[in-house]
Amino acid sequence: MSDPGLAPPQDHLRTSYRHVRDPRMQKVLRVQAALGSAIREYLDGEGFTELLPPIIGPVADPGIRGAKQATINFYGREYKVTSSAILYKQMMAASLGRIYFFSPNVRLEPLETASTGRHLVEFVQVDIEEAGATYEDAMRRAEDLVEHATHGVRARAGGELEAIGRRLNGGGTPYKRISYEEALRILADHGREIPYATEIPWAEEEFLSTRFQAPFFIYDYPRGSRGFYDREHPDRPGILRDFDLLYPEGYGEAISGAEREYEYARVIARLRETGENPSKYEWYLDMLREGIPPSSGFGIGVERLTRYVCGLKTVWEARPYPKVAGVFSP
Amino acid sequence: MSEPLTKLFMKVASVRSAAAAGRTFLESYPVDEIIQKAKHGKDALYPFSDLDEYGRALLGADISVKQATRFSTLDELVLLPPIFTPKRLERMTELAREPFFSDVDLETAIGGFRSRLPLAMASMGSTDVAHSQSPHLGRGAAEAGIPMGMGENIATVWGYARRTKASMPTFKQRLFAYLDHVKEPLGGVVIQQSVEDAFDELWHKVYTDPDVEPFFRKGLVAFEVKLGQGAKPGLGGETKVSRDAARSLKGKYYFPDDPDTVELDLYERHSAPGTYTEEILRGQLRSLRTNFPRARIWIKTGPFRDLLAMFRVASQERIDAVLVDGKEGGTGMSPVIALKDLGLPTLACLKRINDARLEGLRAPFVLSGRLFDGGHVVKALALGANAVAFGRPFIVAVGVGGAKGIRNYLEATEVEIRMLISSLGKYKVADVSHEDVGSLDRALADALNIPFVYA
Repeated sequence: MSDPGLAPPQDHLRTSYRHVRDPRMQKVLRVQAALGSAIREYLDGEGFTELLPPIIGPVADPGIRGAKQATINFYGREYKVTSSAILYKQMMAASLGRIYFFSPNVRLEPLETASTGRHLVEFVQVDIEEAGATYEDAMRRAEDLVEHATHGVRARAGGELEAIGRRLNGGGTPYKRISYEEALRILADHGREIPYATEIPWAEEEFLSTRFQAPFFIYDYPRGSRGFYDREHPDRPGILRDFDLLYPEGYGEAISGAEREYEYARVIARLRETGENPSKYEWYLDMLREGIPPSSGFGIGVERLTRYVCGLKTVWEARPYPKVAGVFSP
Repeated sequence: MSEPLTKLFMKVASVRSAAAAGRTFLESYPVDEIIQKAKHGKDALYPFSDLDEYGRALLGADISVKQATRFSTLDELVLLPPIFTPKRLERMTELAREPFFSDVDLETAIGGFRSRLPLAMASMGSTDVAHSQSPHLGRGAAEAGIPMGMGENIATVWGYARRTKASMPTFKQRLFAYLDHVKEPLGGVVIQQSVEDAFDELWHKVYTDPDVEPFFRKGLVAFEVKLGQGAKPGLGGETKVSRDAARSLKGKYYFPDDPDTVELDLYERHSAPGTYTEEILRGQLRSLRTNFPRARIWIKTGPFRDLLAMFRVASQERIDAVLVDGKEGGTGMSPVIALKDLGLPTLACLKRINDARLEGLRAPFVLSGRLFDGGHVVKALALGANAVAFGRPFIVAVGVGGAKGIRNYLEATEVEIRMLISSLGKYKVADVSHEDVGSLDRALADALNIPFVYA
């Protein structure tokens, strides 16, 4: 997969208008569209309502590793461009129960991500939230969705996949589940010690991913390694009720999900982990004070899913007009 | 007193002129000593006046103190050189000659950086006195091979890359005054972020800035979580800003006078101290590691009563450095009552560091707060600090001679440190220890568990 010395794709990106007309790229884009309709078919069949995604707002998700938010001048005040729809997901799950967005996100990622082959500055994630669900429910939902999408795409774009030459190893659900602590142990056994309570670094995540032949979950991340909205276990302080789904074969992270903190007093203490003044999140905190139901959900990146399904070397081959950290391109 | 006289008296007594404030500073701070060092470098280390010279003067220890102090300072400790010096024998064996003070190895690891001296330039904030001189301060620190701190609110007040005032540098110019002159592999820059800076994602901005990226790759940048400041523990940052600045900053800071409705020359601007519990701090430190894996993580704290509890968290979270600022630390602006009544004196903070060492805590400690000479450095090392940070001496020195003033001042301080450590029969910073220091005061000796020198 992404070799560490991968150069930022300057030339490739500058000429993306040419790449989109490449026959192989045309097939990739058709597979991507097929994945989209398979995902919608699954979610609609499960009683989810698709909503229009928010693009701008007074605050966005601060729980994004190292990435800066993009801002726009909104008549003299500042708006953030959506880095994830998390805060709005909770708002809408409180209204409609089961909801999803095809949500465009912008994250000004650190320059070091330009050569991971796994990071885009602009991408789309299917952002899903379900009122009353636990994180175990969300994990089951996530694996059903991935299964449905990867099977559905064969029915819809089997010819394209064959031409691309990609055969997915069938895994079958349930996917294997390992805890964050087990993941650290596996890494340590291979001489890759990482400090407890930090997010698993990209190189280590990729290494773990190469050890598996089918998608797998890592769950129960420690507090501090994830966003403030991931719910802390009520009876296991310091452990969050959250998870990642990783693709096998070195493709790495597919999904991040969690049960949400939804109680005002807990959220305000957790918010300080960002070092910010909670007043910045005024509308969100007002909403929590008025009360919302518990919920769980996750987001799955469409480009990363496409990359995995098509077996592409990098994620910037998995969407038209890709944007990568530090590279100015069409 | 007749009525006119009373009026006159009241008037004189009520005027707090700049001259009076300046005189207070001159009387209570060793400005003259620092000026001499900034002008003459190591030549300022001997107590000759213009009237006597080497070979004619008769000199001895000054037995007076400049003034009575309200609380104990490091000046109540003395260093205790021994006759028998096994470490000097070791050094002599290495060198095959008698070692000199020039043979002391002063290079020190400070919070993930390498420093030519066990000394850093303390974080200075957005106030004019520090900010206007910051190009020289940054260059001076970089050329001297010591780390430098950058305080809160600089980007928020002066702009990240675009000037908010034509005559004042931006955050980034201040940062690069240092980075452009850094002497790799020595040095490093430590960047704070106030609650208000966080509103604009300052750290994210720095972390994703292509110009700064090479320095993250080399490990020369730290982010510093600020839990407080020596001069005003428990209070947020305070300064005064112009009406234009106040208008643009309204909403991010607390302004007792609304700049939209009240007309003043300058507006008091208060920032929030920030709310912490052990869990919030732990979560914040972990988020920092996750978000900025290539940044070093420092903590700056004021002189709080629960320092030791915080040290434990820092140690468990493997923080690169904890900087502790004592109550007599410098400030651009602090309420008089805070200066008088809030917090632990620097020496009391050093005692907490010493306690942390005895407890086996691993965090590297940096001490600051009215420290200004080589003696302070070596005493702090002896009681468990890994290094110290100076603030005001650099402001005085830069005023005397720009970046050159800083180099001269550091040259003098470096020679002092070398002389003192070598006098203890030691040649490595890490060898300076508890046995090297004694107290002139019995209660202090008992508290610090060091000899009372007259006993």
